[in-house]
Amino acid sequence: MTEIIHEILIVGAGLAGSWAALAASQSGVKDIGVLSKIHPLRSHSGAAQGGIAAALNNVRPVPNTGNRGPLEQVPEGDDLVDSPDLHMFDTIKGSDWLGDQDKIRVLVDDAIDILYEYEHMGCVFSRTADGRINQRRFGGHSAPRANFAADWTGHVLLHTVHEQCLKNGVKFYSEWYLLDLIIEDNITRGIIAMDILTGELHTIRAKAVMFGTGGYGRAWKITSNATANTGDGVAIAYRAGVPLMDMEFVQFHPTGIYRHGILMSEACRGEGGYLTNANGDRFMENYAPSMMEIAPRDLVSRSEQTEINEGRGVMDDGQAVYLDMRHLGREKIMSRLPQVREIAMNFLGVDIINEPAPIQPTAHYSMGGIPTTVDGQVIRDANDTPVTGFYAAGECACVSVHGANRLGTNSLLEASVFGRRTGYEMARFVDNGAPLYPIMGNPCEIQQKRIEKLLAHHSNSKGENVVSLGDELKTTMTEKCGIFRSDELLTEALATVKELQDRVQHATIMDKSSRFNTDLLGALEAQNVINFSEVVVAGALARTESRGAHTRTDYATRNDDDWLKHTLAHKTNDGMSLFYKDVNIDWETFPPQERKY
Amino acid sequence: MSNTVKLKIKRYNPDLDTKPYWKTYDVNITSESTVLSALEDIKAHQDGSLTFRRSCRHSICGSCAMMVNRRNTLVCTKPLQEALVESGGFFGTKGVITIEPLPYLPIIKDLVVDRSVFWEQYQDMRPWLIPDANAQPQKEYRMSQAEVDAMQQAETCIMCGACYSACPIIAGNKYYPGPHALLKLFMRVMDPRDSVPDERLEQVANENGAFRCHKVVNCIDACPKGLNPALAIATLAKLALRTGKIKEERAERLAELIDSAKSAEIDIPYNPHPNAPVNRV
Repeated sequence: MTEIIHEILIVGAGLAGSWAALAASQSGVKDIGVLSKIHPLRSHSGAAQGGIAAALNNVRPVPNTGNRGPLEQVPEGDDLVDSPDLHMFDTIKGSDWLGDQDKIRVLVDDAIDILYEYEHMGCVFSRTADGRINQRRFGGHSAPRANFAADWTGHVLLHTVHEQCLKNGVKFYSEWYLLDLIIEDNITRGIIAMDILTGELHTIRAKAVMFGTGGYGRAWKITSNATANTGDGVAIAYRAGVPLMDMEFVQFHPTGIYRHGILMSEACRGEGGYLTNANGDRFMENYAPSMMEIAPRDLVSRSEQTEINEGRGVMDDGQAVYLDMRHLGREKIMSRLPQVREIAMNFLGVDIINEPAPIQPTAHYSMGGIPTTVDGQVIRDANDTPVTGFYAAGECACVSVHGANRLGTNSLLEASVFGRRTGYEMARFVDNGAPLYPIMGNPCEIQQKRIEKLLAHHSNSKGENVVSLGDELKTTMTEKCGIFRSDELLTEALATVKELQDRVQHATIMDKSSRFNTDLLGALEAQNVINFSEVVVAGALARTESRGAHTRTDYATRNDDDWLKHTLAHKTNDGMSLFYKDVNIDWETFPPQERKY
Repeated sequence: MSNTVKLKIKRYNPDLDTKPYWKTYDVNITSESTVLSALEDIKAHQDGSLTFRRSCRHSICGSCAMMVNRRNTLVCTKPLQEALVESGGFFGTKGVITIEPLPYLPIIKDLVVDRSVFWEQYQDMRPWLIPDANAQPQKEYRMSQAEVDAMQQAETCIMCGACYSACPIIAGNKYYPGPHALLKLFMRVMDPRDSVPDERLEQVANENGAFRCHKVVNCIDACPKGLNPALAIATLAKLALRTGKIKEERAERLAELIDSAKSAEIDIPYNPHPNAPVNRV
């Protein structure tokens, strides 16, 4: 065991973590360490496809052609069609009024600036005829404001920011795994991490610690998420006494590849793709007559699942609907959606130029997470009391700007905007003379024991395989805590999760070696997934209403009187306790309305 | 038809084994199986110590490049059925899919290789944009879609290393930066926003840089994203010849040659068959 010291330590090297490192280094902080369990360029931000939102006003709909008509570039000097205000309203409506409006204001106000910063740093965006950044439509947005680079937008953004971090001399710890967060007396002191290559544990102390550890979509069987998205940061912060906010809100993306769950970008529909059922009907007519296929994701996923449940699904088991892009034509598909076409060919053997692709809803995005301020400062209660020296941004955090449902393209924006703000804030914190606090005792001991227990050869036959426990959890979450939820299903799910928490204590793994032990890693990840899932299910069970992505069949409507509030889950000595926090709402400008598309 | 398939995997844990060895596993195959899902299946149910990298599952993160049936590929998008059909050949047995770590890179464990040199070479190319600080526009730089398309080759590279470890130059020359790094350099050379393309070209205008590529084009064959690093490197070499420095050197050298030829009064011998094929030794 060795001890490493940095001024700022960031866990996670996706867009949020990398932006924070970059912004802090630009502010003059020299000693920044970024730790990631996979190489930074493998981070899941890079898998984002469709675009990043900002009201740049480069493109507009051709007048009088409706919501699904053609687009044209905005002639210079012409009236602007889009604005941060409009972006803000769309985001609030998308969030089903659960997003904090003061924070959404910050998101949309920073959007345009950060887009140009990306471009100035060398990001390669697709272009309009006059050479500006090109834009397309996206679900729930009332103007074409998804700025894109074909359908690999996240990939180019991630590479651009990573390049800048390298230029600024940020130190990366690639393939190091976060095990524990050390907070004593409400002051953050550092983390415990494992060097995956050697299996050794290290204490890393820092004045400021930030989590940009990503979402928790791997708790579901059908998911678009990378295998890395096991919510480690969320689970570890919770264990360290930090509350988790709005964890029951999990987005199901409407277009996951049938049976695989791999993402086909919302850009497919943004560019004009149709959704059809077994009868060949564009069923969105019945659910969102105005926006049709580009309604927000919660609504489209629910509609698809309703079609499937009512027997109008396609394929042998009826568990899919079609995404039809044939009418877009070869040229548009090849220039705008090349990656999607490749994915459909690889996993379905379907060329979207000639055939419709069978798709189904897939667990995609975690709206909930570690509660923070707009500067990434983690808070510990409903009064916004800060946890000194602890920061979070990106999907693992819950600012909350997405509320009960995130709009497409707002996640890349959120990770960038709040990642950057967190970087600036940490630099201020360090510049203002934050001291490096000591850590008492041997902080690695608990984690060392946890690992030794997994590595020990079990003589009793009770030791179950961790992988199968993880599979059991995913099946439970998909079947009982998925798109449609009810008291009955959630109660069963909660019992299963608690039982799994017990069983995982005695589980065992096959690989007993210390070098690059991915079996051990999988077990530690499975423990994290099983732990935070309790918060997801309990939050969903308590929330007796339907809002955004959280749909209760037994409480089918939104209930603003009782539930216009954030869920906060705290770990206590007697298990988990839930309490609630008001949503920030500008009652004059954006009061809650009925949500129709 | 049997519904299991044999996977012959090269295993090696340097802490425990004296040298790499082969181990064969039987796995179930369905129409949805990929080589990655087969590896996951073995790891979960037969041998948890089998070690490999993976993450996104749809060929965008670049983690899972390996050698399947003696060809580099990403296992996440490789259908198991396809791998089965392709098995056999000179070095294999028909019906047995062979899986090995990427060649020419140190093995960390089983199918996990050490890419640290690979990343250093990438960083040495300074892949970040170096713009003219005085020319920064208020909004975006204007750029045509054609200019973007020219960069697309390099922009979409996922840094998986499949090309790198298929390259025979990499196998024998530790100073050659590799197709991945040269591709990134190519992107910034082509980037109209970059202010130092000459400097960048100079960096690779030498016998271990762009000129070292022998056009074996294994990189094109290996690239799981269908990119063409060889063309990018050839373009770099061509452009490098046009940079000021190279021009000067060549001019000087040419002048010297002409001078020396004059002073020696060499007679150019008569060639009776000017169009005859060159005899290669």
